[in-house]
Amino acid sequence: MANSQRKRSRPHSPNIQIYRPQLTSVLSIINRMTGVALSAVAVVLVIWLIAAASGPQAYTIVQVVIASRIGQIALVGSAFAFFLHLCGGIRHLVWDAGLGFELRTIYISGWGVVAASVMLTLLAWIASLYVAG
Amino acid sequence: MIIESSDQVPRVTLLKRFPVPRNFEVSPESRIEPGRTWPAPNGSLRLKTFEIYRYDPDTGGNPRLDTFQVDLDDCGPMVLDALFWIKNNVDSTLTFRRSCREGVCGSCAMNIDGTNWLACTRFIADTEKPTTVYPLANMEVIKDLVPDLSHVFAQYSLIEPWMQTKTPRPEKERLQSPDERSKLDGLYECILCFCCTSGCPSHWWNGDRFLGPAVLLQADRWLVDSRDEATSERLDALEDPFRLYRCHTILNCTRTCPKGLNPGKAIADIKKKMIERRS
Amino acid sequence: MKRQDMRSPLGRVIGLGSAKDGVGHWWLQRLTAVALVPLTIWFVASIIAHTASDYERFIAWLSTPLTTTFMTLLLIAMFYHTALGLQVVIEDYVHSAAKIPLLVAMRLGCSALAVAGIMANLRIAFVR
Repeated sequence: MANSQRKRSRPHSPNIQIYRPQLTSVLSIINRMTGVALSAVAVVLVIWLIAAASGPQAYTIVQVVIASRIGQIALVGSAFAFFLHLCGGIRHLVWDAGLGFELRTIYISGWGVVAASVMLTLLAWIASLYVAG
Repeated sequence: MIIESSDQVPRVTLLKRFPVPRNFEVSPESRIEPGRTWPAPNGSLRLKTFEIYRYDPDTGGNPRLDTFQVDLDDCGPMVLDALFWIKNNVDSTLTFRRSCREGVCGSCAMNIDGTNWLACTRFIADTEKPTTVYPLANMEVIKDLVPDLSHVFAQYSLIEPWMQTKTPRPEKERLQSPDERSKLDGLYECILCFCCTSGCPSHWWNGDRFLGPAVLLQADRWLVDSRDEATSERLDALEDPFRLYRCHTILNCTRTCPKGLNPGKAIADIKKKMIERRS
Repeated sequence: MKRQDMRSPLGRVIGLGSAKDGVGHWWLQRLTAVALVPLTIWFVASIIAHTASDYERFIAWLSTPLTTTFMTLLLIAMFYHTALGLQVVIEDYVHSAAKIPLLVAMRLGCSALAVAGIMANLRIAFVR
C-alpha cells in the first residue's frame, strides 16, 4: 500500500468536563432530574390506586411500606422533587410567555424556586404531622 | 449570588465543575494529558499561573495542559495580553485567533475558568488562581486554542441570513420606521463569536442537528426585520423538533454572551411566533 | 480506516430537511403543565389532609364524583405530560438504534399506566 497517510481525527475540546456549573444550567438539569424522578412516583401512584381498589389487605401492605423509614424518606424526597419541579415549571411557563429573561430576573427567580421548594416541603411535612396528631 | 449582567464574574463558587468523571464520554484522541511546565521569568515580583490547553496537529499525540508563569508587571491587563506575552517570551508556538483586541470581532472567544468569553475583554485580575484557558467547549480543535467553526457557520448559512423580498425593488431604499428599526436592537449586534452556542448543553448533546443560540438569535433578527418578506419560509425551516425545539431554556447562552445579548429571549420570541401563526 | 463523511458542512447541516412540525408537542407540554398546577396542588393537599384516615374514610373520599373527576383529569394530564417530557429526554440522550423502540415502549407504558389508574379509580367509585 503506497503512502497510506491516515488523516488523524481532530480532538474535541472538553465540554461538561470543564464547563462551570452556573445557576442557569444547574437549575435546568435539576428540573429535568426531578421530572424523571416524578415519572417513577407516578408509577407508584398507580400501584397505590390499584392497591386501594383491590381491598383493605392490599392497601394495608402499601401503607406499611409507606410508613417504614425508607418509605418516609422516599415520601419527603418525592415531595421535595415535586415542589422543585412545580416551582421550576412555573418559572418555565413565565419564560414561555416571553417574560423574565433579564439576567437579574433569571437569578432572582432561580433562587426563589429553591427557597420556595424548601419552604413548601417543610410546610407539607409539618401539615401532615399536624393532621396525624 | 445575583448576577446582573453577563460581564459579572461570580464571587462565590459552590461547584467548580459538574460531578462527572474527568474523561466522561471523551474519545481517546481527545483525552487531555498532563503537559509541560514552562520556566518562570527571572526577577519578576508578580507572577500569575496560567494552565493552557495545547494540541499540535503536526506531531499528533493527545492534547495536553501546559503551565505557564506570566510576569504581570510586564503584561497588559487582559487575558489576551497574557497569551501574547507567553507567545512572545516563552513559547512562540502558542496559537490562538485574535484581531481587534477590543471585543468587537469575536475572534478570541475561548473558555476561561470554565466559562466562554472573549480573551481581550476578560481582566486577568478577575480570573482564578490558576487561570485555566481551554478552547471553546465542544468544538473540534485545529491547533491549541483554535476551534474549527465550519459546522456552526454552516448552521448559520442554513437560516439564509440575508434580505429576501417578493415585492419588486423600490426607487430608493426599502423604508422602515424607527419603531420597526428598534426591534432589531439586541439582535443585530451579535459578533458571531459562538460563546453561547459552545456553552449550550443541548448543543453539546445534539449539536449536529440543533442550530444553537447564536444561529437562532440571527434567525430571529431576520424574522423581526420588517423589510424581509420570507417570514413564512423562515418559520417553516425552523419548525423542527431538533433545529429549534432542542432549546429547553437552559439559559447558559444569556449568562455567557460577551456582548450582553439575550439569545434565550430571542428563541422564546421565535417559539411565540410559532404558536401565533397557528392560532 | 474510519469511513469518511465526504458531505460538505452545509450538506451535513441540512440533513433530511426541516420536519415542519414541532409546535404541537411544545404546546401540549405547556397545556398539560398549566392543567397540572392546580390538579397536583389539589392532590397533594388532599393526601396530606387524609394522612390519618383509615381505609374506609379514604375509599369514601375517592368515591365521590368530584374526586373521581379530578383524579381522572390528573392521571390523564400527568401521564401525557410525563410522556411528552420523557420523549424529549430520550431524544436528547439516545442516539443509537434503540431510540425508536424506547420511545414506543415509553409511550405505550404511559398510556397503559394512565388507563390502569383510571380503571382502579372507577372501580372504587362504582363497584365498592
